[in-house]
Amino acid sequence: MRIVLPGDKIAENPVRMENAIVENGKTYATVIGMFDESKGAFIPLESVWYPRQGDFVVGIVENSKNNVHTVQLDSPFRGLILPPPRPRFGGRGRDDRFGGRPQREEREEILHVGDVVSSFVKDVKREADQIILILERPRRLFGGRLVEVRPSKVPRIIGKSSTMLKQLEDGTKCTILVGLNGIVWIKGENVPLAQKAITKIQEEAHVSGLTERISELLAGGNGGR
Amino acid sequence: MMAENEEYILEMLGKGMREHERDHMDYRDIKIEINTIPHAEGSATVDIGNTKVLVGVKLGVGDPLPDKPNEGALVTGAELLPLANAEYETGPPSPEAIEFARVVDRGIRAAGVVDTDALFIEKDKVWTAFVDIYVLNYDGNLFDAGTLAATTALLTARMPKIEGEEIIREGNLGKLKTNGTVTSCTFAKVGKTILLDPNANEERIMAGRLTIANDEKVVRAMQKGLSGSFSFKELTDLIDATFDKSKLLRDRMKQAMGE
Amino acid sequence: MIMGGGKDKPELIVNGKRTDGREFGELRPIKIQAGILKNAEGSAYLEWGNNKVLAAVYGPKEAQPKHIADPNRAIIKCRYQMAPFSSLEEHSRSGPNRRAIEISKVTKEVFENVILLDNFPGSEIDIFVEVLQSDGGTRAAGITAAAVAVASSGIPMRDIPYAVSAGKAGDEILLDLNKIEDNYSDADMPVAIAPRNSDILLLQMDGALTKEQVQRAADLVIKAGETITKLQRDALEARYK
Repeated sequence: MRIVLPGDKIAENPVRMENAIVENGKTYATVIGMFDESKGAFIPLESVWYPRQGDFVVGIVENSKNNVHTVQLDSPFRGLILPPPRPRFGGRGRDDRFGGRPQREEREEILHVGDVVSSFVKDVKREADQIILILERPRRLFGGRLVEVRPSKVPRIIGKSSTMLKQLEDGTKCTILVGLNGIVWIKGENVPLAQKAITKIQEEAHVSGLTERISELLAGGNGGR
Repeated sequence: MMAENEEYILEMLGKGMREHERDHMDYRDIKIEINTIPHAEGSATVDIGNTKVLVGVKLGVGDPLPDKPNEGALVTGAELLPLANAEYETGPPSPEAIEFARVVDRGIRAAGVVDTDALFIEKDKVWTAFVDIYVLNYDGNLFDAGTLAATTALLTARMPKIEGEEIIREGNLGKLKTNGTVTSCTFAKVGKTILLDPNANEERIMAGRLTIANDEKVVRAMQKGLSGSFSFKELTDLIDATFDKSKLLRDRMKQAMGE
Repeated sequence: MIMGGGKDKPELIVNGKRTDGREFGELRPIKIQAGILKNAEGSAYLEWGNNKVLAAVYGPKEAQPKHIADPNRAIIKCRYQMAPFSSLEEHSRSGPNRRAIEISKVTKEVFENVILLDNFPGSEIDIFVEVLQSDGGTRAAGITAAAVAVASSGIPMRDIPYAVSAGKAGDEILLDLNKIEDNYSDADMPVAIAPRNSDILLLQMDGALTKEQVQRAADLVIKAGETITKLQRDALEARYK
């Protein structure tokens, strides 16, 4: 493992990978990160969020017009929640006997400007002037607190198989939703502690023994500081 | 403007050709006319192809700059007039206009075209030379046209005099004292190709721009513009090209001044 | 800039050394710290001789106002500014004067070259350079700091640029002019470079230089790049050690 910076060569041959570019047949890093020579793996230490289908996000409803909600995701990409398709009579698989009531998961949440919502990216669309994210399965989040984190630190906050997140939730008696776009929603008993732990994870994500320090912090210690 | 234009130009460049059958290192036709605004102390109109630039020079009496109490001042401004191009807008000077004026200014200043020492009148009283660049029609390469017009206007400007409380601007007057001349050559980088004197279509597709201002002996000012890059090899080659091509510009200037 | 040749011009070279004791090709001491502002996506604080410069980057975010957005790539907004208390001379008005507007423009163009703008259509990236104390060479210091700020943000870039000026006093080519040298030198040539292939990203010059002198100045700039690039690198890596 070695630390690489934008412009550092990471392969003598062209390799298509994230956070790297190919120029003149060679591959160069475009962000600061850790490069594992033996595996050819590049883990960014800082990066910007590039949305993908299925990404879980948290945002704030910014605008609402003709039943289309615009969601501010703290990124250059604008999220849109479209109204569910109007059920047609005679449609298959739908309980349309009473005028086509949408099924449970299609029913739309009533959303207002200012509401906090979690959602999933259904589609990444290139519109005329920018990239639009079509969002699906919106869920309104009541109360709680929003914290901004660096998108590149999200994997550490969640941890392998969600171990870190579970540890955080158990240790603070909070529900924590981590949007890949870098917005985290926290609600529960000890929100300040959860916040403190998340800040610590962000700042020390690259230092080994993080899990232990976080356990210590959650157990009422000072987490090694 | 139209995208077809740009593709057409790229296609031609691919074949080593240029609009109006120009070579890569050719200027378009250059025309210089002096004293086009007799009310101004000095003036010149320069055409490079369809680009038309007018420079007027006025002298005024004022305070010296605090850090240069014993010399006069030189103030250069540029206006990209809305009548010169459909894309120019009214309003405060754009960063492009400011860069343009400052690059012309640096060339003139570095070459000592205006002898600012000679503009000293008395303690706390000096002449300021105002050089105003008016772009009348835009078809690329404003920098070279602007420098050419400004230098010519200054070299042919008359020097007003003070009699009692009055400034005499007409009649039997001497000339503004000058110590040098300067011209500039501007190159556009389009893909890997380098073009002297880009026109508007070429400027629209250029990635980088390099202006080199010189007199007979040395480089006086340089400015690289836009996001495209140049190598040091290209830079030194273009300095050679500038010394070569600037002879033409100086000849035209001398012709216009009747020398 | 005040051109040389004035009557009260100070000697810039005495006994083969510069006014501050440096060799002709010697940089002033440079210190860089990355990621020091919490709100910004990326930031850097740089001391370069007596220059003190802060740089920060925000974004990418939705371009505002909407009509300036480029549907194919991100746009960069850049503001270089000198604090009113930054110079030894009198208090100066802050806000964008013509010099600052030009420097903002050429700085922006440096980053348009290295940032992968195509990744963020319709968005904007803001780069701020605040000169807190100035002693010559602030645009180079600002670009060098801003490059560290961008690299610390995770905004993808092809290379980390640096900038430094070269100049001339008499027949000597000098690296990294300080304020007095800047004021009274016979030429000043700030340059920004993408170190990976030594491409020129910014080049300005005024004064008097022959082609051969431009070449010598370029050599000094490239050589200095090794030192500056190393310092940028150390600053970025220090955050993860």
